[in-house]
Amino acid sequence: MRSRGRAAAVLVQIAFRNLFANRWRTIVIGGVVLLGAFLVVVGSSIVESIDTGMRRSIQGSLGGHVQVFNESSKDTLSIYGSFMGDSVLEPIEDFAEVKVALRKVPNVREVVPMGIDQAVVATGNIFDQALERLRADVRARLDGDRSEDRARAFESGKAHVRRMVALLRDEVARARTLVDEASLRESDREELARSHADLLRATSAPFWEIELDRDPLAALEFLENRIAPLSAEGGTTLIRYVGTDQGAFRRAFDRMELVAGTWVPEGKRGALVGAYYAEEYLKLKTAHRLDKIRDALSRGRRIADDEELQRWVRENTTMTRDILLQLGPREAEELADALRAFLGSKARQLRPLLSSFLDATDGSFADRYRFFYDRIAPHIRLYLFGVGDTVTIKAPSKTGYINSVNVKVYGVVNFRGMEQSGLASMMTVLDLMTWRDLYGHLTREKGAELAEIKRAAGVKEISRDDAEAALFGDGRPVLEEGKAVRIEDPHLRGSARAAPAALLERTYSQEEIDRGVALNAAVILEDPSPGAIRRAVADVGAAAKAAGLPLRAITWQAAAGYVGQLVFVFRLILFVAVLMMFGVALIVINNAMVMAALQRVKELGTMRAIGAQRRFVLLMVVLETVAIGLAFGACGAALGAAFVKVVALLGGIPAPNDQLLFVFSGPALVPTIDATSLALALLVVFVVSVLSGIYPALLAMRITPVQAMASEE
Amino acid sequence: MVAPRMSIVSVQDVSKDYLLGKAVVPALRGVTLEVEDGEFLSIAGPSGSGKTTLLNLIGCVDTPTGGTVRVNGRDTATLSERSLTDLRLHTIGFIFQSFNLVQVLSVFQNVEFPLLLQGGLSRRERERRVLALLEAVGIGDHARHRPGELSGGQRQRVAVARALVTRPALVLADEPTANLDSRTGANIIDLMRDLNRREGTTFLFSTHDPKVMSHASTIVRIADGQLVGREATGIAAGGEA
Repeated sequence: MRSRGRAAAVLVQIAFRNLFANRWRTIVIGGVVLLGAFLVVVGSSIVESIDTGMRRSIQGSLGGHVQVFNESSKDTLSIYGSFMGDSVLEPIEDFAEVKVALRKVPNVREVVPMGIDQAVVATGNIFDQALERLRADVRARLDGDRSEDRARAFESGKAHVRRMVALLRDEVARARTLVDEASLRESDREELARSHADLLRATSAPFWEIELDRDPLAALEFLENRIAPLSAEGGTTLIRYVGTDQGAFRRAFDRMELVAGTWVPEGKRGALVGAYYAEEYLKLKTAHRLDKIRDALSRGRRIADDEELQRWVRENTTMTRDILLQLGPREAEELADALRAFLGSKARQLRPLLSSFLDATDGSFADRYRFFYDRIAPHIRLYLFGVGDTVTIKAPSKTGYINSVNVKVYGVVNFRGMEQSGLASMMTVLDLMTWRDLYGHLTREKGAELAEIKRAAGVKEISRDDAEAALFGDGRPVLEEGKAVRIEDPHLRGSARAAPAALLERTYSQEEIDRGVALNAAVILEDPSPGAIRRAVADVGAAAKAAGLPLRAITWQAAAGYVGQLVFVFRLILFVAVLMMFGVALIVINNAMVMAALQRVKELGTMRAIGAQRRFVLLMVVLETVAIGLAFGACGAALGAAFVKVVALLGGIPAPNDQLLFVFSGPALVPTIDATSLALALLVVFVVSVLSGIYPALLAMRITPVQAMASEE
Repeated sequence: MVAPRMSIVSVQDVSKDYLLGKAVVPALRGVTLEVEDGEFLSIAGPSGSGKTTLLNLIGCVDTPTGGTVRVNGRDTATLSERSLTDLRLHTIGFIFQSFNLVQVLSVFQNVEFPLLLQGGLSRRERERRVLALLEAVGIGDHARHRPGELSGGQRQRVAVARALVTRPALVLADEPTANLDSRTGANIIDLMRDLNRREGTTFLFSTHDPKVMSHASTIVRIADGQLVGREATGIAAGGEA
């Protein structure tokens, strides 16, 4: 209808005139709406970016798109573990069947077997390593090696260990001053006194000049058993690893790239260490802190006014032990000379020299960082282990024993675009064979075979708990002679079961890799859109059922466990914040418009008198709030978008701490604006302004013409 | 009917009570009044006598407690709120004591407003009619101004123009000169009188100013809610001349 169109036109006109006529009110309402829209856009773009980043990290490094695992498992697969620890899964008995069945499902590109777990890697401590070298020299000399080189190596090794013991004595003496010995238990006090005596002996000149030459093996044993344990060093480090078919893994997760070393040769056993893990956990702490300070400075932070950086510097100045212990006496002397020259210092001891060297300021940091890597790093091990090392990985197997497997580290890997992601680059990628050894699963056939052997040999099934009673219960000694030997060193216990070196050289066929146990499998799709992933979950489940495989399929998000939920939590927080924001906006707008309606009784009544229908007045007031809402909402959304753009251009929001590195999937969160955020903001603003306009409009609608006549101007 | 002129307004034994707290205050007590087409009628009486109440009932912005009010032959008691609004829009023009212009609209837009509510006219037609009317009431130069920029007399001229723009059969004016000085007030009455003569529009206005009443063709006197007299002044009604 033409008239309706005109009425609408005049409605809009009056609405806008009113907005300009009541600037103060418009600004208040508009300000609230603008802020709300701004927050919606910025907030949702940040959450979306976190979502995208996490999706990329998880899908691209471990999760894939769909995960399958044994449906009879008590827990649900959680590839990053959960707050309750790692999920306990029933194994997939034969991955080969799974691979065959799932590869037939449409849209499936790759099926990657996995066994995800944690394990302990023995790294040995610096003391042990130095003693081991010394022992080798002693052995060689006892075996008749009289060469000059050997003699020099022996002397230098001896000097190094002697220096270490001296450092250790100083350290223990310092520690003793902090302990209130009277409060200790009797046994602890004795222990302390004994170790004190041991240290005195180990630092005495007669021990090194007479004892060691007279009975070197006994002296070494004394050092190993009594002195080395006093240097309270880790000796082990925890790794999270995924045992997998490395070929398939590389094809599936093509963002994985080598940072150092080589890929594990096809079919070989071997480990690829995550670069982030190597930096965070394997690198010498001093060097790692220097790296972190350098990165922070390059991002514009300053030691002078940054508490975290000051803390790192302080830690570096006090924690010099790992460096000191690694230096032989000659190296220590040379370094002390170099440091005296560099610092212009007269200090005699290396420890205070090193401390004041590491006590860097914003001005001196760059030079010292360079000096550290040029002059100090070459003499020490920067990483607990690295490319080329063969490490011993230990994990409790399914049968309850600690299984221990040697594996060679071939390379250090990164996931492109996720170099700093604690999610992606924490994992060590192992071969499937090593994982199977660690997991220690008895396949059904092997189990049956073993039972058959036991039956044939007449061995009774005795549970581990009852074993002691069964063996010793009636007091009759089973073993006539020989005494029980407690082996304290877990290395020894472990190495009894460690894979022989020959295994490291063996090449496994694809058939061997596929045939056997896995815990879960990642399914990679050709089309990874959310809809396709949902369909694939159903298709994969159906295919497994059809093939008679007891599998459960879940999305990558579900498999990511609490990590996957994190984005949901962020969304929830944002949602609540937005809800509260607009709750306030609703009240503010409502109040302002009610006041406006009351101020306009005369005007509205006049309109009613001269022929405006109630509906006209209703629409007029609602339109006013919607006009304010949309105009300022659009401004707010545009400002939000501009803000996000500027933040992105400036390099994103830098992750202020390590926890956020994980959430941001990198050193900085670069937010991107998407149409959905904008549309969402405008929709929310529209709904809120309509809602907040309704009550004032109803109020205005009820104003009668009589009221207009009565009220004075 | 023999009568050549029909009643535009027919008020039959109308009463109106207001509730003031619990007390019932009678504002009108059995008023009967016929207003013929083209009359220039003044309702006179002291304040509180029920003038405004009567005008409200005739103007379809209020309904009677008893009796019937017919406007243009239609019984207002039988009409819905919507129909009453329509009746006001198409049949009645209002002039208020305090002008009641929409402050945020220009003079032109204020006058155009009822036409927009009615719809049906093209933009050009509306413009022509509004400008002609503004010219006729003597404020053609102020079309673009806001009401706030005008004097009281000018504002009331705008209000007159707004009341007449839809060419209503009946114009109601409640104390149209009360907020104006006497000379300006006289000008407004002259203007209304002039329009009544030329267009034949029926005017019904209340006043307590004897000078203003003296321009009316008919004076109806009201006191205590009752009609106390009706006199023809001998001044010709509109359209008769």
